[in-house]
Amino acid sequence: MPDLARGGMPCPSDRRNLDHVIEVNGLTKRYGDVLAVKDLTFSVRPGHVTGFLGPNGAGKSTTLRMILGLNRPTSGTATVAGRPFTAVGTGLRHVGALLDANDVHGGRSAAAHLSALARTNCLPKRRVGEVLDEVGLAGVARRRVGGFSLGMRQRLGIAAALLGDPPVLLFDEPVNGLDPEGVRWVRDLFRSLAAEGRTVLVSSHLMSEMEHTADHLVVIGRGELIAQESVAEFAARGTGALVSVRTPAATELARVLTHAGASVAPDGAGALSVTGMSAARIGEVAFGRGIVLHELATRTASLEQAFMELTADRVEYLAGERR
Amino acid sequence: MTTVTTHARFRDLVAAEWIKLWSLRSTRWLLGLGVLALIGLSVRGSASTYADWPTYTPRERAGYDPMTEILDSATAALLMIGAGSVGALTIVGEYATGLIRPTLAAVPTRHRVAAAKLTLVAGVMLAFGALVVLVSFAASQAILSGRGLDVSFADPGVLRVLAADTLLAPIAALAGMGLGALLRHTAATVVAVCAVLVVVPSFFKPTVYQWVNDLYATVPLYVWRNCLSQLHPRVNDALPTPSGSWAVFVLWPLIAALLTLFAVHRRDV
Repeated sequence: MPDLARGGMPCPSDRRNLDHVIEVNGLTKRYGDVLAVKDLTFSVRPGHVTGFLGPNGAGKSTTLRMILGLNRPTSGTATVAGRPFTAVGTGLRHVGALLDANDVHGGRSAAAHLSALARTNCLPKRRVGEVLDEVGLAGVARRRVGGFSLGMRQRLGIAAALLGDPPVLLFDEPVNGLDPEGVRWVRDLFRSLAAEGRTVLVSSHLMSEMEHTADHLVVIGRGELIAQESVAEFAARGTGALVSVRTPAATELARVLTHAGASVAPDGAGALSVTGMSAARIGEVAFGRGIVLHELATRTASLEQAFMELTADRVEYLAGERR
Repeated sequence: MTTVTTHARFRDLVAAEWIKLWSLRSTRWLLGLGVLALIGLSVRGSASTYADWPTYTPRERAGYDPMTEILDSATAALLMIGAGSVGALTIVGEYATGLIRPTLAAVPTRHRVAAAKLTLVAGVMLAFGALVVLVSFAASQAILSGRGLDVSFADPGVLRVLAADTLLAPIAALAGMGLGALLRHTAATVVAVCAVLVVVPSFFKPTVYQWVNDLYATVPLYVWRNCLSQLHPRVNDALPTPSGSWAVFVLWPLIAALLTLFAVHRRDV
């Protein structure tokens, strides 16, 4: 990490704590009658991308805001490198955060937005050009942010988070609105930031997104901690392998497989999804009965599935009927 | 655990607010047109006095106050609404757009952000007020000297009126900021700025009830109109005194600044 103070303005030197851990301890936030975050305890370590997962309304954003000192906890503490963030004078040098890409003034240019932020943390002006380059917005630096698409705003928010070259980075739903190239770029960026020894916490309500990015997971639902473990451990919680089968004799095969001990669910016309039996065994059973198979494929236990199963009873907003 | 806490220097925070203020087209237009409009209105008023002077009655001539050519009740109201809106928008613009979150995450010691905003807005609006008042004063003096109506800096009351006229802008701007920090909603704040600073006080007239007069004498535009803006303020129990008026000019921005600091410090964003 380059020394930012050097070559720039003569600013107070900045001491970095070696231990850039985020510690959340018994964190609780109450809004009137609603308990948004309930006695939440977890920690996030450097060197990994940690996924912060939960359904909509689980309390992810509220937790991130409390870590950043934007919201005052009802009880409990959140610290970065061992101290509350509200005690920090130069926030950008300690924690880079993208909470909501729309938290910008549409009347300002991207460069002006970043210049003002950089100045508050005594960062040299060249950092603005550097981060705009890094996120691919150098060409529109002078354009007003009001005309930016959501994807461009996400890039601007990421640029702001990188501005102070911080050891800790928080991203709240950073992939929303990005195009496929942008999604891949952002995943690589998170991984490389973590590989440099930084602490990277990325929130999402989509498990599939984390599957490709995170090493560790913190999963919450209705403001409570559900799981805190590695991605591999988390995936193992899900129901085992799932096999999808296509056959013109779906009804018959379903009956036979169920009889043989598998659990079978119809999966569209002429297709079944089978759990509790390997693809090889299904093939043998079908062959034994003379049933023609058009497709036989194993789908690995997905994180998505594990996530859905774990959070099923803690979804705040369920489409259709309210639980 | 380390206890080393670093802070950006306060002037860097003020410089950041300067970037934010001037990078908005609306601010540049509002302040630029404001300067031109207020000076233009002053020149127009002085020119019409110059033209009409021969038709003035002796009574009108005796009651004429050349300092009112700089700002009269109408232009003072205009100035206060403009300055109050600029002050309000510097803070409401952050809350209404959500920009306040990145701002406070960048500088988690919030009171310093609020203090920098207050300092910058006060400074810019003081410069704005001084520019408008001094140019208007010079222009009106140049025009009025043709009728022998000009005054000099040494004349009693001249410096007081110039100072009071200049201070209207920063006072209105800080009051606007205080209202903005409390309301955090653009339309509501602009309505409140107009109502509190201009519309409501414009209905105030001295009454036979002393407590009502005392209440009126706590409002900036009222004390400016009935005391500080006059070359020779009338002495009357029903009217505000110069010392009481100066106290109002000091207390309003002070209370507004404290409200802003408190609101920014306390509230979740």
